[in-house]
Amino acid sequence: MLLRAESIRMAFGGFLAVADAGLEVAEGEIVGLIGPNGAGKTTFFNCLAGDLKPSGGRVLFDGADITLASPEAHAALGIARTFQVPATFDEMTILENVMVGAFLRHPREKEAREAARRTLALTGLERLAEHKAKSLGTPGRKRLGIARVMATEPRLVLLDEALAGLNPAEIQQAIELVRMIHRSGVTLVIVEHIMEVVLTLAERIVVLNQGRVIAEGRPKEIVNDPAVIDAYLGRSHARRAHQP
Amino acid sequence: MPRKPIIGWLALAAVLIVFPLVFTGAYYEQLAAFVILSAISASAWNLVGGYAGQVSVGHAVFFGVGAYMPLLFYKLWEASPLLGFPAGIVVSVLIAIVIGVPTFRLSGHYFSMATIAVAELIRILVSDWDFLGGAIGLMGPATPRGWWDLVYRSSVPYYYIFLAVLAVLLYITHRMERSRFGYYLRAIRAGERAARSLGVPVSRYKLYALMLSAGFTSLAGSLYAVKFGFVDPGSALGILVSVQMVVMAALGGAGRLLGPLLGAVILVPLQTTTNTFFGGAGTGLAFILYGGIIMLLSRFEPGGLLELWERFQARREARTARGRALLGAGEDHAA
Repeated sequence: MLLRAESIRMAFGGFLAVADAGLEVAEGEIVGLIGPNGAGKTTFFNCLAGDLKPSGGRVLFDGADITLASPEAHAALGIARTFQVPATFDEMTILENVMVGAFLRHPREKEAREAARRTLALTGLERLAEHKAKSLGTPGRKRLGIARVMATEPRLVLLDEALAGLNPAEIQQAIELVRMIHRSGVTLVIVEHIMEVVLTLAERIVVLNQGRVIAEGRPKEIVNDPAVIDAYLGRSHARRAHQP
Repeated sequence: MPRKPIIGWLALAAVLIVFPLVFTGAYYEQLAAFVILSAISASAWNLVGGYAGQVSVGHAVFFGVGAYMPLLFYKLWEASPLLGFPAGIVVSVLIAIVIGVPTFRLSGHYFSMATIAVAELIRILVSDWDFLGGAIGLMGPATPRGWWDLVYRSSVPYYYIFLAVLAVLLYITHRMERSRFGYYLRAIRAGERAARSLGVPVSRYKLYALMLSAGFTSLAGSLYAVKFGFVDPGSALGILVSVQMVVMAALGGAGRLLGPLLGAVILVPLQTTTNTFFGGAGTGLAFILYGGIIMLLSRFEPGGLLELWERFQARREARTARGRALLGAGEDHAA
């Protein structure tokens, strides 16, 4: 297993955001993490990325315990994350944004610049290289967020709502980008609120509700799982779905 | 942006080198030396306050350590004040580590306030410490015993010493801008959380920036001390010293290579004029002036004058490009 999270628990004061969640991701997989609003997806995700130190449980990456490792240590190990609200470096150009990521593996400026240009070409942003990041709209920012992360040459990418706020055409382009990243040999964990998108992308899906994993399996199995339908739509829908 | 930046640099260097030869007279020479000295301390502040975006308002601590150390060496051992320069740098860098580790846990205004608190605390302590001359301060050698005392009647030799130090500092800053260190500092300024997620060791780099900045601020303080031959808590450790660095860098353009120099070129003459015009009341007036500049900048032009200039240039270029397109519409559109 490339990534293994075991019985993660995260409490904020008296509130238990993640009660007991686990996840296993094999090298080369795309795993979707879904759940209704407030299910604890983002908190769980932040525990995986090193942004939060869980109150209990542990996270293993390639066999090493990284539960308490800092976000920068995660990046160095090859675990990269994007943000739901893309935190681009607005006053820097798009090329410079990506260079910050590239410097992780290429300490010299010239090589970092070349690596960043390659990443921009791959992600379709090369035309805008010299523009300031603040000139981009939401889809561009999300794309830049992904490009910046790819420049760190990760083994595992955690995508936090990469498609939220995009229109259908933009979603289609973003899906192409995610597929391309996957083809390049990167393992992906996708947190997404929009179910349809995850169903088309992910090979395996983990469903969180109220801080616990309530279902896990292939997309087809998940959509018919009564517990999942119940969590998303309520009990009456779950019953109706199972009437012959 | 000029098309051949090297020409711009040579022109700037030429103007600065020739200046005291053209504008002679004690008043102008002293003023010019003070402009360059202020540019050094503001450029040193710029490393951490501008590039890394950690707005310290306590840099008087490093300036003060640098200013006191050469004169302390003279007082204790009648040693050359020059020996105090490296000692000041070492002590300042150590203080930077002691201050930086706890205060960098704070962000934004809280960091700025913590640095003010530390600086004022040290100023009050030094004012009551007889070893450092208390409220009266320390004196340097009145007449030179040799070249190593760096005592000159004219301001011109100081001007060229200051200019050489400024050149070294700006060269290092320029190199930094083009290195991983510089990119990481700008990323930290733009967003610490995102920077960390890309593998930037934020706390470590902020500390490096503060250490480098403290070392050069200390050097500026030492140069100040040998030029004036006298320091007291107010002139070397007062909050005005810190505020001056912030305002100069911010006026010209914080986080830009030449921003602090531009700020110093504008503000120092302004300040000297008000001082000579209003006499003793001038110090109070400087506070009002700085307050006004801070308010205007943060309301209208947080990027400083250099950014304003670049925007103006970009607009003009766009206009001429449009003009050219209109003139050569036939060929250009065919392409």
